[in-house]
Amino acid sequence: MGVRLVLTKIDLAKYPFTSEAAEYIKLLDLRIENLANPELKPILDRAENRIEEALLNNPPEVSYRERDEDIEISSFPVAVMTAAATNNDYMRRRYTLAEARRAYNLLRFEDDVKILDIAGSVKWRVKRAKGKFSSGGYGFTLHFIDFLQNAESLREKEWKLVNRVIKDGRVYLSKREIARLLQEEVRKHVEAKLRVRVRPMLPENVIERVDRLVQVYAVKSGKTRFEELPKTAVNAAFPPCIRQLYDAAASGRHLSHLGRFALVSFLLSVGVPSEKVIDLFRSSADFNERMTRYQVEHIAGSRGSRTSYKPPSCATLRTHGICPGTDDLCERVRHPLAYYRLRLRMIKTAVPAGQT
Amino acid sequence: MNAKTKAFVRDKFHQFYDKDSYRIEAPPSIAQREFGVLLFNGSVMVRHKGFSDAEELRSFLARNVPLHAYYSTAYYESPQEKMESKGWLGADLYFDIDADHIPTDCGKVHDRWTCKGCGFSGKGVAPEACPVCKGRSFDEKTWACEVCLESAKQETVKLVGMLTEDFGFALNDVIVSFSGHRGYHVHVEREEIRGMDSMGRKEIVDYITGTGLEAEFHGLKGATQRRGMLSGPRLDDFGWRGRIAKGVSEFLKNSSRDDLVSLGLKKRVVDAMIGNNALILKSWDSGGPWNLVKGVGPENWKTIIRKALKTQSASVDTVVTTDIHRLIRLTNSLHGKTGLMKVEFSTPDIGRFDPFKEAVAFKEGEATIVVEEAPEFRLEEESFGPFRDERVELPMAAAVLLLCKGLAEVA
Repeated sequence: MGVRLVLTKIDLAKYPFTSEAAEYIKLLDLRIENLANPELKPILDRAENRIEEALLNNPPEVSYRERDEDIEISSFPVAVMTAAATNNDYMRRRYTLAEARRAYNLLRFEDDVKILDIAGSVKWRVKRAKGKFSSGGYGFTLHFIDFLQNAESLREKEWKLVNRVIKDGRVYLSKREIARLLQEEVRKHVEAKLRVRVRPMLPENVIERVDRLVQVYAVKSGKTRFEELPKTAVNAAFPPCIRQLYDAAASGRHLSHLGRFALVSFLLSVGVPSEKVIDLFRSSADFNERMTRYQVEHIAGSRGSRTSYKPPSCATLRTHGICPGTDDLCERVRHPLAYYRLRLRMIKTAVPAGQT
Repeated sequence: MNAKTKAFVRDKFHQFYDKDSYRIEAPPSIAQREFGVLLFNGSVMVRHKGFSDAEELRSFLARNVPLHAYYSTAYYESPQEKMESKGWLGADLYFDIDADHIPTDCGKVHDRWTCKGCGFSGKGVAPEACPVCKGRSFDEKTWACEVCLESAKQETVKLVGMLTEDFGFALNDVIVSFSGHRGYHVHVEREEIRGMDSMGRKEIVDYITGTGLEAEFHGLKGATQRRGMLSGPRLDDFGWRGRIAKGVSEFLKNSSRDDLVSLGLKKRVVDAMIGNNALILKSWDSGGPWNLVKGVGPENWKTIIRKALKTQSASVDTVVTTDIHRLIRLTNSLHGKTGLMKVEFSTPDIGRFDPFKEAVAFKEGEATIVVEEAPEFRLEEESFGPFRDERVELPMAAAVLLLCKGLAEVA
């Protein structure tokens, strides 16, 4: 495709994740060891501020500062480095989301040509739609692989491939939808950059900023704490799929390979001991203790590759025909374990006060 | 299979891998593929094998004489290493269509099951529980008849249609083969799909099978408004829209009052549809029947669409396509359950492809066998059976088929 010269400096400030912006930053010769240089303070300030905005804005979103292009562009890689150096997964995730949402909210208001340029610069195979559906709100077409790679994490039914119009390998999309998928592209892009171990290389003045941000997070998160799962499993909180598999296993009915896997990995995840899980399969006609023990322990991670397996997601269970149909709570989750956690919370709050 | 039969079949397989090994070709990028075989005297797959060229692969097959031979859809840095250290580089897109999973017109009368608990047996698909001892474990002897394989072929045609029209693969990038037993395989080796993860492949499977499809996203409008015109997909629309229109149109053309009632539609709705049948059939030339019949609302249409969807989707094995480490049968190798070959054929010729002819490997000689029970079947131009407790001399391919199926022993 060659070098594109279509993005302006304003575009680079808005979309600093593009390869063009990366080229521009290279020209600025922004080295890690120079970050202690007082001249670069405005860049460090804005970088720190980007992360602060991510932590404090709700929903998380980094702002866009007009007329300050150089700083908007160069503070992005510095902010990425700073966020990486926090070594805090929550902060990294929140910052990633905030940069991605920034891109989405800027992209939504761009004209079609600009959308094509930005999407092209992240190597998407995107085109303007022609013919029948172009008038029906679908201004663009995107290669199905680029679509799948970014729609994967979006849970609404409209993002399922089966609910899209596809022709000749291209998915028809509106401008808003392209912008939404680009948000995912940006999220993945930033996420990948945050995996780098950068802290040991940073000068002292940057480390100070990192630590300050970790403090901001500590104050903010003081109230919210993750709930631990209870040590023993609560059968009443099982989702319908697991309940059905459980009943089937208990009464000795045959389970498909994936059904067995889903049941065993779920039970182990919620704290049922391996022995109890093995016992569950005893009433099966072709029960083989040695084989069952091997498989259960394999899933538990005490054998073989030492990975302990998590149960498959709702989407996977649906694909393989294991989901028996949803109840009210299923609509709110996309993983059997999330259902379990949610139901537990409801059971707990349903206990009248004074009773423990 | 008794020892004598096993030795006989192994000898035939050995001749094949010795003399006809030129038929075995190297899959693309052979050095990055994992190979695995099941041997005549083993219950465990011998896997993590790697070969650098076709010659090496052929001599391995001739030396070991496998009952089944497989290779990976995946490409690895080091295919011979353990799973965790292979270094996954990508995988082809692969589909398996198995007559076993498709309801067929033959009713599977050629299949037999025997209860492992009490020995009671019957024909057709095994029941949930044994009617005598309530046992749930069965020995099953399945057969793939012409009707079964024709149904599998129809599913394959629908799949190929979606891969070329919707997904935009060129016809010669879609490689179709007969598995040598009960179904068809469809293989896409294009570089662009290799990096796709299991989630992406799952979305493709859902597309092919119509899983999770909601008509609102395919142009069925007016579903939520009280007033306003109801509209829906048209016959000339792309992708699932066109398929929904086609499916509904075909269903309504061929359905009786009982068919409509069996969907759970109210009597009033069924009456309205039957009464306006002629009008509905004509409506496809314009906007379709969606807003045509008073009293037939969006929910009724959705019920009909759900039914129509089943005729338009293709029944693929969901596990095979989403597994990015899958081992698949090697082309032109022998299928241990039939002695037939897995054979590729030109995709546009699928209508004319005759699995019982093209897949025959053993074309010379005869053998005398004792058949316990076998349905009538055909190989090439000749029909055989049905047999029951009899000693017969058959052409080699037919004899090997019954021996491999476990329905006969060498005399």
